[in-house]
Amino acid sequence: MATLFSACASDLQTKVSGHLNSLSKHQTVAILPVEASDEGQMEMAKMFRQGLYANLKQSKFNLLEKYIVDGLLKQNNLNDPANFLKINPMQFGEILGADAIVFSRINKVERSYFIVHSSIELSVSVQMVDTRTGEILWRAEQTEHDFSGIGKIPTGITTALFAPIEFVTNKFNLRKMTSKMIDKLTALVKKPENAKKETQFETTVIAKNATTDLKKIEELQQLKAEWNQALALDDEVRPEVLAPKEIQNETLGQKILSSSPATIGKIQNAVPLKATVRKVRAVEAEMVQIPTTPAITKEEIITPIPLNAYKTTPAIPIHKHGQPPGNNTNMSSTTPLYTVQVGAYKTLAYAQSLSKKLAKKGYNAFVIHNKIYKVQVEKFKNRQDALKLAQLIQEKEKLKNFVATVKPG
Amino acid sequence: MCHRRVSPFLKLSLVLLGFVLAGCGAVDLEIRQSNTNGSMQPRSVAILPFTLAEPTPEGVSPHDLFRTCFYNYFSFLGYVDLPLDIIDQKLKQAGQTDNKKILELSPEKLREILGVDAVIRGRVLSVNNFTGGIYAETSIKAKIDMLDLRTGDIIWETEHKESTHSGILSPTIVGIIQDQMDNVKVHQAYFKTAEIFSISMMKEIPDPASNWTKEIHLPKITSIETNLKPSHKLKPNDRIYVNLKGDPGLTGSFGIGSWKSDIPLKEIVPGLYTGSYTIKADDDVSSALIVGTLKNKNGLTGKKFYKDGMVQFASSSNN
Repeated sequence: MATLFSACASDLQTKVSGHLNSLSKHQTVAILPVEASDEGQMEMAKMFRQGLYANLKQSKFNLLEKYIVDGLLKQNNLNDPANFLKINPMQFGEILGADAIVFSRINKVERSYFIVHSSIELSVSVQMVDTRTGEILWRAEQTEHDFSGIGKIPTGITTALFAPIEFVTNKFNLRKMTSKMIDKLTALVKKPENAKKETQFETTVIAKNATTDLKKIEELQQLKAEWNQALALDDEVRPEVLAPKEIQNETLGQKILSSSPATIGKIQNAVPLKATVRKVRAVEAEMVQIPTTPAITKEEIITPIPLNAYKTTPAIPIHKHGQPPGNNTNMSSTTPLYTVQVGAYKTLAYAQSLSKKLAKKGYNAFVIHNKIYKVQVEKFKNRQDALKLAQLIQEKEKLKNFVATVKPG
Repeated sequence: MCHRRVSPFLKLSLVLLGFVLAGCGAVDLEIRQSNTNGSMQPRSVAILPFTLAEPTPEGVSPHDLFRTCFYNYFSFLGYVDLPLDIIDQKLKQAGQTDNKKILELSPEKLREILGVDAVIRGRVLSVNNFTGGIYAETSIKAKIDMLDLRTGDIIWETEHKESTHSGILSPTIVGIIQDQMDNVKVHQAYFKTAEIFSISMMKEIPDPASNWTKEIHLPKITSIETNLKPSHKLKPNDRIYVNLKGDPGLTGSFGIGSWKSDIPLKEIVPGLYTGSYTIKADDDVSSALIVGTLKNKNGLTGKKFYKDGMVQFASSSNN
């Protein structure tokens, strides 16, 4: 009898993270549409998602309503579940406002029939990822198999013939199996405190896409740190306050620093130039509070400059691309010149790429090397001219920049 | 082994047989009020406590199980459904503790107490859980309807009996034994039957989800700034400052990865939220991103990550 019962086999491999236990009703989890590889699995996919949803309603965390999930995905043109795993979980966090997301896939729905024997085999994979950290909170793979036939001792000849057919054609059996499967699958998620050692991840596991993007962010920050350090040490460069946009409240006279956050998934290896006098000084300070209510000095208010100002600025004539223009000037070698710095890179190729792009647009851009590769545009005798060009580049090219001084020659 | 597809003829004839054997059938839902006009469709719904005509000898509460199960599945549809514990709490606060009397309350009174557009009322007329010999059965018969509290009209209603049974008609001996064993677990047996009942009903209940797709808007966050510096390790008493700009009049907060969440942000001017967190001596986190959050009164949350700096504690064991 034991052998017969074991025929209704279930293979469940599930692991949870210790952090799953810390999810509460304050955290929201979104169950994404289920990936199905063919049309035949679509019904199972819908049934599975519905069952998963109903089961996880009993868990400790809050579930984001299905129609909200679907509506937001549609608004963001995320219609194919097969692509969901390619997207950084953090992006889903921002799109759905969810703290964690559940990806799932139907691996197999196989119904087979052979005269007096039929069977159904279902296989699914599920993964819950924390959007705030990219950590995999729960991962499971389950296969459920059941059959009808001689092995289950038919009650008569008629049932021996018809039961296997009924077993594979009646949707109720598929639903029953799916329901059983989800019960077993979600048991640990509903009560993660019951997880035994063998069902817990040994270390924190980060989703692949999150790892890649977090690594990029870390690299970017490392570059920024190096850049800030270089700026602090570089006696040649005196950046002007220009780059950060200022959110200004005219009524209260308040302002805060603001930046346009990089789009997830489009992080480039460039160092956005946000360096300011304040930041250079902050290298030495421990934690500098963002000034929320400072008084605005007249010097800090930048008067808008007409877009054609650049053309009227007596800039130094354009030279062969990539060569600092100062070489051909007759300026005194002791008087510092002003330039607009638009980028700084660890890699020469990136600096050259930006320089070429600007050159194509008619700017006299060049690259200089001083610990890092800096992309600068023009050289001016007059600081005001440099400021005008900086403003123009900011407005027209959307490139953050600052005015720096350089030695002539 | 050779496998082949089931013929359509056998499929058709045996689906019917299958339904007989399984003891389940489609729910006959009568839709009385066709809300084709999206604006008239109820948006928020509360599932009132279900009643049971006669107490069960098993000592379980099949009507409560059914209500929970129904709610779990109903949440899948595009309604804003009030959580059951909130409904019960509101009813209790209004002095309504008798489930049968609650069903008799006027639409106006229910709307006043619960503040929703519609309610679902469930009356469990009979239940049965029997296991004996070669026969086992669990059934739930109930009358369920949705009442529009704005108009007092019934939107839809059904009276249905859902049964799961096995016996002489079951095709295999092993199947009979399995069903018998499952059926003696009364709680699970009722829950399973309630589940089948609920799933069948969900197929029939109108789902307004598509009406709301364009109306779903998360609170918007336009920018987030912090004083974090790249690759800087924080020490005790250092303070992380966060400024967030977005939709005005919402509840703002920020979190540090998954390590700490719901640190409040104060709206200092409309649409500008600010707050801070001071590092404590025993704080320990590595490479966590700051995430700003704005929540509206419907519980919808907008999130934005600050990616120009990560929280790294000097004390972190991972460092």
